[in-house]
Amino acid sequence: MDPGLLAQHVFNGLMLGVIYALVAVGFTLFFGVLDVIKFSHGDVVMLGAFTALAVSVGLTGGGVTSSPLVLAAMLVAAIASMALVGALLARLLVLPLRRAPAINVLLITLMAGTVIREGVRLFYPQGSNPKPFPRLLPGGSSELGAFTLRHDSAILFAVGVLAIVGVHLVLTRTRLGLAIRAVAQDPETASAMGIPFTATVLATFAIGSALAALAGVVNGLYYSEISFNLGLLLGAIGFSAAVIGGLGNVYGAILGGFLFAALQTIGAVALPFASAYKDVFAFAVVIVVMAIRPAGLLAERSAERV
Amino acid sequence: MTSSVWPALAALVVSAVGVLALLLAEKQWAVIAIIIAAGAAMFLARRFDWNERIRRSGAANSRKVFLAAMVLVVGAAFVMREHNFALLMLCTVMLMMVAGLGLTLQFGQAGVVNFAGAAFFGIGAYAAAVFATKTALPHLLVILAGGFFAALIGSVLVLPLLRTRGHYTALITIAFGILFKTFLEVNDALGGPQGLKVPGFVLFGHAFNDPIEIDEETEWSFYLAYAGLSLLLVAAAYAFVRRLERSWIGLAFDAVRIDETAASAFGVNVAAWKIAAFSIGNFLIGVAGAAYAMMTGFVAPTSFTFGDSLILVSIVILGGLGSALGLIPAALVVVVLPEKLQAIQEYRFLLFALLVIVILLVRPGGLLPRALRDYRVGAPR
Amino acid sequence: MTTPLLDARGLVVRFGGVTALDGLDLSVAAGETVGLIGPNGSGKTTFFNALTGFVRLAAGRAQLAGSDITGLEPRRIAAHGIARTFQRLRLLLELSVFDNLMLGQHLVLDHGPWSNLFVRRRFTAEVRRQAEAARALLAAFSPGLPARLFEPARALTMIDRRRVEICRALIRDPALLLLDEPSAGMTPDETAELMTDLLAVKAQRPALTVVIIEHDMAVIERVSDRCVVLDYGRKLAEGPYAAVAADPVVRRAYLGED
Ligand SMILES: Nc1ncnc2c1ncn2[C@@H]1O[C@H](COP(=O)(O)OP(=O)(O)O)[C@@H](O)[C@H]1O
Ligand SMILES: [Mg+2]
Repeated sequence: MDPGLLAQHVFNGLMLGVIYALVAVGFTLFFGVLDVIKFSHGDVVMLGAFTALAVSVGLTGGGVTSSPLVLAAMLVAAIASMALVGALLARLLVLPLRRAPAINVLLITLMAGTVIREGVRLFYPQGSNPKPFPRLLPGGSSELGAFTLRHDSAILFAVGVLAIVGVHLVLTRTRLGLAIRAVAQDPETASAMGIPFTATVLATFAIGSALAALAGVVNGLYYSEISFNLGLLLGAIGFSAAVIGGLGNVYGAILGGFLFAALQTIGAVALPFASAYKDVFAFAVVIVVMAIRPAGLLAERSAERV
Repeated sequence: MTSSVWPALAALVVSAVGVLALLLAEKQWAVIAIIIAAGAAMFLARRFDWNERIRRSGAANSRKVFLAAMVLVVGAAFVMREHNFALLMLCTVMLMMVAGLGLTLQFGQAGVVNFAGAAFFGIGAYAAAVFATKTALPHLLVILAGGFFAALIGSVLVLPLLRTRGHYTALITIAFGILFKTFLEVNDALGGPQGLKVPGFVLFGHAFNDPIEIDEETEWSFYLAYAGLSLLLVAAAYAFVRRLERSWIGLAFDAVRIDETAASAFGVNVAAWKIAAFSIGNFLIGVAGAAYAMMTGFVAPTSFTFGDSLILVSIVILGGLGSALGLIPAALVVVVLPEKLQAIQEYRFLLFALLVIVILLVRPGGLLPRALRDYRVGAPR
Repeated sequence: MTTPLLDARGLVVRFGGVTALDGLDLSVAAGETVGLIGPNGSGKTTFFNALTGFVRLAAGRAQLAGSDITGLEPRRIAAHGIARTFQRLRLLLELSVFDNLMLGQHLVLDHGPWSNLFVRRRFTAEVRRQAEAARALLAAFSPGLPARLFEPARALTMIDRRRVEICRALIRDPALLLLDEPSAGMTPDETAELMTDLLAVKAQRPALTVVIIEHDMAVIERVSDRCVVLDYGRKLAEGPYAAVAADPVVRRAYLGED
């Protein structure tokens, strides 16, 4: 294959991988502190994107023309409101079911995701149609043989990587990160050491959902279009990525995100018959990986205690 | 102590009349009045402690009550003989119950999660489309082939399902559901996004899609024949699942669901029972899909989305996890209400999602929670 | 000497860096009751788990009545005639007491579709027979229990749950019964009562072989023919209770004396 074309595919794959990793980290953080899957996470990504879109429509309609200003406002609004939504979902739906079978939490959050998705479809003006997302980043591109690097994509990629590094720093360098890791390790001991359980859980859900909002905005800016049901597939992909990496393992989730993107890219490029099968291929590989490594790639084997 | 059959029978007749009225109601105010009446009836039953009497009477006379229910469905179908749409809804409720019974077996009894219910329903439907157009297989066998194919394709998932637990298992079925729908959309052999036409059901030379002509003036809906078929399927599936539940097999399923460790310590072959529940369940779901496809005349990928799988799961949760009886009101609520209440039609996914959230928070046992196992069907205590 | 019923040699179990069983040898004669004691974390439960196939052995072999059960799946080991209770109760709380006991009978019951689904008359007769047997067994432990056969296990008190768990293990007449701290969470009076019942059941079934893990030394003294002390996954001492209890090594390691 032409090296320029190859580079193009690799970069596109990396771009997707960053978005998936941002979503997967949320799944894995939630699983870490509460051992639950919050399946509404994909729809929180979507809601974040729509919140940003609403802010941009409002500001542009109100006469604000400075792109950086609009973009900053979009990001702040989306991130802050999704952090709140995430914490609320945890408080109202997830924590009350702590003693119930784990599958009930998956179900209730699946349904919460449906509520969010349908809410946007029904109540956002013409919500059932795809919406154009404003192009607010500098246009332009650099060519290198067959490889075209769009500058906006490069910026988005850098932002995504920075956010992931930021989460890593929060988890390893701050008191909050310490608290999150302690609760993930052993809630009882953490409580005994004076770490407030509920507050830590809510903070974790806020952080994960803030990342989801960022993923939503990045996704919107990258594709220049969003729709109410983008969260379903993105949620399933983020969940898959987190599971491939090994639930609860943040680095596994990041790895899983890039792996899933790689699978899709390989599926689109290398499959002889049709690139349309790329998702079929990617999810089929996920199922096979689960059969071979039932607890993910980076999971240490831990048998259930009898 | 023997319990009289009358309380259960009375409750059954009242419910049947209510459902019939709902199916035939045309004015919105009538629909709302019926719903309010149903709510009032439930409140009264609770207020005067009828529920327990009805339950006991039903449990002690389950065979008679089962037969009476079948007679009532036949009667209701006859009353609706000239109403296409009402009959279509009745058939849909019954076929959704068949699928729900399959899911109940997997999910509610053996604890094998399946978030790809719509995919297995779709496999049954596509299998019916292919077999009915490409082969001369008698149509009753086409429907069984739908179930068989659902179970067969499901067996691809058996290995990963057995090796994983909890959330990991859930992911496998979610991934499979998405994969299946995407596959249908991009695959030309199966009609792509447009789907396939499915021939109507033919039994002993009688084409179910022909209206039934009684005389010059009167013509009965062709859905009447499908109602008969659906009733046959749902009655067989219900009796089968209930008997299974009230046997040593049902106990093995429960043990596998509740505690795999304890089960295996007493010799239970956890993997084998999971495979059994998963395959039988998929068979039932596939049968329902095949019958549904032949009734509606076409299949397309858009009917087998993840959202549709969630609707199936909602039916099971709403009725009460593992409760076969609960599927009746649950399927009615999920299938009929949005069709009848135009005000909520547009909002139905939203409302069902909210309903399931409320159920999970305040009444996790569902509308008719599953009772303790009683092995002695109909036998005096 | 005849071959022992249970013969375990050189059992080694490791969890990451922890060696929970460190070359343990233990054999039990048919009909014997062995008390297994040792400080918390000394590997007692792990020994049961290794015997019943729930943890993997890094080394060693186990034989039951002459046949090798090393490395078999739990369900296969159960079929060889080992039944057990769990330190943390594992009753199926949402099912009836009867269902729980019938789980204990799983290997005996006929699961064929024909008899379960179609010949219901014969099936209900079988249910009635099993219910009688279940009542009789429960009655040996508490006169009130048989009447509660068709109540959910969740409705029972702690001591009754323990009793039902023991009955679930006993009902199939296992060759070897493993009891993991049956008195945990009970008052001394309740414990004494449970042990009296257990001794009575044992008296009726002389062939029954029992290994019991217990913290309460009085219980061990009362029920065991022989007692084995574990420490750090190794056998520290072995013999009749009185001799073991007087052993200075045991007193230092276990009873915390110096
Ligand atoms: N599933 C397991 N995973 C990791 N460590 C275990 C596991 N089971 C037991 N252990 C460890 O093995 C040692 C022995 O435990 P156990 O057999 O439960 O002791 P006992 O029953 O004598 O109190 C302990 O250090 C315990 O922490
Ligand atoms: Mg122990």
